[in-house]
Amino acid sequence: MKRPSLPVALLFGYMALFLLFIMLPIAVVVVVSFSSSSYIVFPMPGLSWRWYRHIVEYRPFMTSLATSIELALASATLGALLSVPAALALARSRHKLAGLLANLLLAPISVPAIVLGFALLYFLSALSLGLSFTSLLIAHTVAAIPYVVRTVLATYRAVPSDLEESASILGASRGQILLHVTLPLVRPGVFAGAMFAVLTSLDNLPLSYFFGSATTNTLPVVMLSYMENQFDPSIAAISTVQMLIALATLLLLDRVYGIERLTAV
Amino acid sequence: MRRVRPYRLARPSWCVPVIAYLLVFFVIPLIANLLRSRPVDAAIGGGPFFYYVKLLTDPYYAGVLLETTKVALITTFVCLLVGYPVAYFMVRFAGRWNALIVFCVVAPLLTSIIMRTFGWRVLLARRGVLNAWLLDWGLITRPFELADQPIAVYIGLVHVLVPFMVLSINAVLQGIDVQLEDSARVLGAGRLRTFWHVTLPLSVDGIATGCILVFVLTNGSFLTMLLLGGGRITTLSLLIYQQFSTTQDVGFAAAMGNVLMLVALLGFLLQFRLLRRRGVKP
Amino acid sequence: MSVRPHGGGNNTTAGAPVELADVSKSFGGVQVLKPLRLALVPGEMLALLGPSGCGKTTTLRLIAGFEAPDTGSIRVAGRDVTGLPPNKRGLGMVFQNYSLFPHMTVGENVAFGLRMRRTGRAEKARRVREMLATVRLDGYEDRLIHQLSGGQQQRIALARALATSPSVLLLDEPLGALDKNLRERMQFELRDIQRRLGITSILVTHDQEEALTMSDRVAVMAHGEVLQVGRPTEVYDRPLTRFVSEFLGTANIFAAVVTGANGPNRWSVALDAQPHAAGTVESPAALAPGQRVTLAVRPERLSLGPPTDGTVRATVRDVVFRGTYFAYELTASGQPQPVFAYTQLRQPVAADAAVGLSWEPGGAVILQDTA
Ligand SMILES: Nc1ncnc2c1ncn2[C@@H]1O[C@H](COP(=O)(O)OP(=O)(O)O)[C@@H](O)[C@H]1O
Ligand SMILES: [Mg+2]
Repeated sequence: MKRPSLPVALLFGYMALFLLFIMLPIAVVVVVSFSSSSYIVFPMPGLSWRWYRHIVEYRPFMTSLATSIELALASATLGALLSVPAALALARSRHKLAGLLANLLLAPISVPAIVLGFALLYFLSALSLGLSFTSLLIAHTVAAIPYVVRTVLATYRAVPSDLEESASILGASRGQILLHVTLPLVRPGVFAGAMFAVLTSLDNLPLSYFFGSATTNTLPVVMLSYMENQFDPSIAAISTVQMLIALATLLLLDRVYGIERLTAV
Repeated sequence: MRRVRPYRLARPSWCVPVIAYLLVFFVIPLIANLLRSRPVDAAIGGGPFFYYVKLLTDPYYAGVLLETTKVALITTFVCLLVGYPVAYFMVRFAGRWNALIVFCVVAPLLTSIIMRTFGWRVLLARRGVLNAWLLDWGLITRPFELADQPIAVYIGLVHVLVPFMVLSINAVLQGIDVQLEDSARVLGAGRLRTFWHVTLPLSVDGIATGCILVFVLTNGSFLTMLLLGGGRITTLSLLIYQQFSTTQDVGFAAAMGNVLMLVALLGFLLQFRLLRRRGVKP
Repeated sequence: MSVRPHGGGNNTTAGAPVELADVSKSFGGVQVLKPLRLALVPGEMLALLGPSGCGKTTTLRLIAGFEAPDTGSIRVAGRDVTGLPPNKRGLGMVFQNYSLFPHMTVGENVAFGLRMRRTGRAEKARRVREMLATVRLDGYEDRLIHQLSGGQQQRIALARALATSPSVLLLDEPLGALDKNLRERMQFELRDIQRRLGITSILVTHDQEEALTMSDRVAVMAHGEVLQVGRPTEVYDRPLTRFVSEFLGTANIFAAVVTGANGPNRWSVALDAQPHAAGTVESPAALAPGQRVTLAVRPERLSLGPPTDGTVRATVRDVVFRGTYFAYELTASGQPQPVFAYTQLRQPVAADAAVGLSWEPGGAVILQDTA
């Protein structure tokens, strides 16, 4: 292999810097979470598990983590239940309205979450749903829909319609085709979309912020209010836990369905 | 031969539940928000656009609008400068390392924004990692404050948003024929000239998509400003957040939200037109 | 070797296995099928042959129920199925790209139709084994689809279509995706299976050789119309129109005039291009002297000889060895198109040599359309 030219060498050096830039803040948080000190100082005086013990004992973190996970799973499920039939209908439709409808279903991605949260708060309060898990679920489902619609549209468009026709002439009714052919074939898309929805929901502070109450706070909201008062490594510890949960979700999905099947059919 | 009419399993009615859901919990609330931005108290005077006039004419709020635009523009530009070479590298040089780089670009999306912002505070603070290293190596004699500065906000924003720029540009670069570059180089153009005259113009679509995305996302961010800005940078989103948590001036917050919406809507339309030009279905 | 009666009970019902009555179809204002009549004979393999875009697939999709006809009715085994969905028609179909379910094993694919009918486990397993044996892929139950070659996938698609004992098997260019050698082998195999099971089949193809070798009857289509239906030798040797004669192989077309009777059902003709050149044609219909006719003569029916009186005078332009025969390209004076003649043995003629062409009385056909 010939010696790389100067611009190429510079580009390789730049990539190393870029990866450092991306990874450093995340790595630093993981390291800080094992600090034995009450303050964030460098170099760290020693290593300990004390902040992990602290977050387990600090009730608001644990209850809000449970709320967050529950909310993420529930909103992704509800979002999928609503989105999958619509995506199946829109993917093969040639109606004039189909494009417009697809855009409506994708639109919530483009609306700033803080605006949506604010608008929904007053709307839901008028329906006397106000600060409740139901309100959170409604809001996060709106945000989940575009992710599922997008991946299912893409997956289903790649499925040749001959497969469903084959099933039909082999004697399958519409319900049987849906159950035995269509859904199994778009399943990777459904799961990929639902996983995007779960990950964004876990981190969607602007949307959750407005519905906060003692019983319905999500983890990011609790973390933010904690940070306004204290600046200690427990935030690092709970962040690391949240990251591990997200990573575990991804790995689980990989084990069960295979990451490569998420992109290929 | 490709048949024009594919088999249709799903009936159009299958769209009804999700459309009803979004009409009730997405479209109507946003329309209600439009109405909410009118002053309730007729005594204030100034007509239905009172808050919008205030936003544009009051020096403080006009300043916030200006600052919002400035932050979004600078962030977008820096993300483009930082992200383009990465996307280019991934397509042309990464080879078997591509998977690793994709992972590194996507991995931050698995972590919360609070975590990443917190990480930057730890790095940039007076007693933080960066100062500790610089002191160790004798490059500085006194630690200095980097957090709670505008620069910290920009670093944080770029860190959070650059993956979107990289992925947008990368998607378009993947579609550009390497042979075009090669033939330009065979014709005697140097690598840099080839890049400038062939690759860059062809990747304009990806650049536009990435820029619109980052611009709109920056406008919607407030956590980074809140946690890294130390009150030095106030943007519209941050103001909505503060209005809500402190003064509770609902009508005004709604008006500011609608201005943000307008920007997002414009971005969305622009992006839609770009995709249409490329012949991509949504 | 067991001869299985084709299932579906069409033996007991009156009527053809498949019958189209005045079926027509338009897409977006363009008529793709003109009102079409077609009836199948039990146990036969009928080839729908025609150039790409002539409406073969549309015909098949109408029979299958994927499209609804604009006019007319479709009967399967004597039952009117015009309004029935595909799953209620009791048909089997093999698609050009096989359309095997990628998320199922070979066994699950073959068992699919039985599973939809809630067939019992044991019976299902037995039937799958039997079908795999029929297509000579015993023991492939647990393979995955993407582990199979194109030819194997083709056979699994056939096994899947046959597993439910359909009354009629529809094949849409079933061998189109295979390479030439494999395609020829599969032609025989498919034909053999079809004969053994005695299942009425419709084979859609644009390959005239495939249609002629595989089918009991050929229906030649063009522009949404069936031009001629008949046994392969019949449509090949006795084409009704110039299109049919040329689509099924090479044909030399001559304009001629009838000069007189020449025996029972035989007439003498003189070619327009060379009035001195005489030939004999057979025609069941009576011809009148002086009547203008168009003749088609297959190249293998033309013989080359010395340019004697009464032969068609021609000059050899080129000769090509085609493996099993020699193809001569000639020009006949007065005839704008080149003339082709095929012979088993190489003739002792040089390039640019003048030769005389002639044919046996049965070698020329009178076409119904004008030249
Ligand atoms: N769903 C459809 N919509 C519009 N035109 C169609 C459709 N299906 C087939 N056609 C048209 O009908 C004609 C016949 O098509 P087809 O039956 O597929 O021909 P073949 O199978 O003989 O090649 C073609 O011109 C094709 O473009
Ligand atoms: Mg066809």
